[in-house]
Amino acid sequence: MDTIIGNLALGFNTAMSLQNLGLCFIGCLVGTLIGVLPGVGPIATIAMLLPITFGIDPTGALIMLAGIYYGAQYGGSTTAILVNIPGEATSVVTTLDGHQMAKQGRAGVALGVAAIGSFFAGTVATIVIAALGLPLTKLALLFGPAEYFSLMVMGLVCAIVLARGSIVKAIAMIVFGLLLSTVGTDLETGEDRMTMGIAELSDGVDFAVLAMGIFGFAEIIRNLENVETRDVVRNKIGRLLPAWQDIKDSAMPVLRGTGIGAILGILPGNGAVLGPFASYTIEKKIAKDPSRFGKGAIEGVAGPEAANNAGAQTAFIPLLTLGIPPNAVMALMVGAMTIHGIIPGPQVMTKNPELFWGMVASMWIGNLMLLIINLPLVGIWVRLLKVPYRLLFPAILIFCCIGIYSINNSVSDVLGTAFFGLIGFTLIKFGFEPAPMLLGFVLGKLMEEKLRQALIISRGSFETFIDRPISLGLLVVAVILLVLALLPSIQKGRDEVFTE
Amino acid sequence: MLQKLFRNPQDAAAGLFLVSVAAFFLWQSSSLDLGTLRSMGPGMLPRSLALIVLGLGCLIMFNASVTVGPALESWQLRGPVFVIGSILIFALLIRSAGLLVAGPLTMIVGAYASDEFRLKETLIFSVLMTAFCILLFKVMLKLPIPVIAFM
Repeated sequence: MDTIIGNLALGFNTAMSLQNLGLCFIGCLVGTLIGVLPGVGPIATIAMLLPITFGIDPTGALIMLAGIYYGAQYGGSTTAILVNIPGEATSVVTTLDGHQMAKQGRAGVALGVAAIGSFFAGTVATIVIAALGLPLTKLALLFGPAEYFSLMVMGLVCAIVLARGSIVKAIAMIVFGLLLSTVGTDLETGEDRMTMGIAELSDGVDFAVLAMGIFGFAEIIRNLENVETRDVVRNKIGRLLPAWQDIKDSAMPVLRGTGIGAILGILPGNGAVLGPFASYTIEKKIAKDPSRFGKGAIEGVAGPEAANNAGAQTAFIPLLTLGIPPNAVMALMVGAMTIHGIIPGPQVMTKNPELFWGMVASMWIGNLMLLIINLPLVGIWVRLLKVPYRLLFPAILIFCCIGIYSINNSVSDVLGTAFFGLIGFTLIKFGFEPAPMLLGFVLGKLMEEKLRQALIISRGSFETFIDRPISLGLLVVAVILLVLALLPSIQKGRDEVFTE
Repeated sequence: MLQKLFRNPQDAAAGLFLVSVAAFFLWQSSSLDLGTLRSMGPGMLPRSLALIVLGLGCLIMFNASVTVGPALESWQLRGPVFVIGSILIFALLIRSAGLLVAGPLTMIVGAYASDEFRLKETLIFSVLMTAFCILLFKVMLKLPIPVIAFM
């Protein structure tokens, strides 16, 4: 306990420096901005802003990038409530009851409850990260190549289970991502693999290029096809502070949502996205009068919002302790860390304690900032939402182009994003979900390395993955998850969760 | 053609896409050494993964012939052509002409991807945005972006 407090004190010391406070603020503000705007997500934004962090020290850079990520979760709910469009994928559930509340003239209360619930969840998640950081790092030191490999297999299986739509298609996307990650120099022989003689490809496909193409440009093309109608609430937003009754109604949902979100967020394989759905389903199940849901039930805003924010933050745990990015945003964080010469993994906590704890403390400060800056700024966000998409997307285009060019000052990177934009668009057209592919790509290189190491140690015998108890346990969990997901009855339930 | 042969045309196309991706990677990795399990060569994983993609592609296509599913979505060319085109223009001009030229052109061509395109509005907006980008990225953040190439 003493060490946690001591570490947190170190963290707050780091995070409270004027520069880091400023970066945290900028991150939160930018994050909220892109969260509010539908069609720009944190993945494209962080890829776009990576070059800006070159000049900042690594702690400051990560504090800012993290702020963008959880700021976006806050902003996403504002759009969900006011416009009935999820600003971020994770705020889909909030549209259900949040927008209904707004229509009843209770937009302010919905926003207030979402913000307060998120703040509470963020606080708890910060404590969870602080408490789990040390023990998990120690666990990570017991991990050999076989355990790492099995853990990543489990992560990928989680991503398959959590993906929307056909499971076979999700598996195909993961393997496609893994396949893409093998392009480039072979890590043992140094031989060029499948580079088609293109010199730029011998370092492999750049993750920022892939992410920007698939999540930046392909999304723009997609959005242009679906003409959206923005139904910005015309009612007054009303008072922001919830009444005592509202607080009493949402206290338990927030608590439950925080728990669900925090646990799901830790899972490798982007469990965080499931948090809001799970929370909503549970609130509806245990409610005395489930029919109120979808008609402006405050529990349906409070729970999912808390789950969303808790999951967004605990998703940092696998990255910071094991060095395994659980989703695409975290993979970009890996990129930001390696640019500054920091290899993510258990050694970060011992070698760069001020970075680890500074980031953890900054998350709490950032959540407080979001609570304070967001509510008064709602008016500005509403005005921003009235900017038509035909003006918005050219601006996104040029920002993406400048951002991707600046990462390596390379024209071929820009051409690469154009190519992957086209691929991403094709994937969406054929009913594939691109997110699992990105995760497969992210984990691919590390998985290949660990697999080859493990097999060298075991002299080519796959039994090593079953002989080692931790590895076996992880694989068993993976198999159980996959079998469960393939069972027809569960598959039906899974569809329901996502279509609700 | 897919519409007639398969009862689930979208999945049939998806399967076909996977099969062609797999074929491409199999062809590209054909010259790589497989190695043994004890010490894998560079070609082992790419080729095994490509084979899995091939298998999954075939499975999806097979399923598409026995289940009923959504038709292929229509492909409107305007969006992809102009969005991708604008990125290519940026790539082409950023070094040779600089952001001052590349910025407005990228945005004008890109904006044409939307069928709500309005010329006057886009012209003014793209010039203002370019000025803003130069201020933000070049002046404030000091990124080495060429603003005017010959200077």
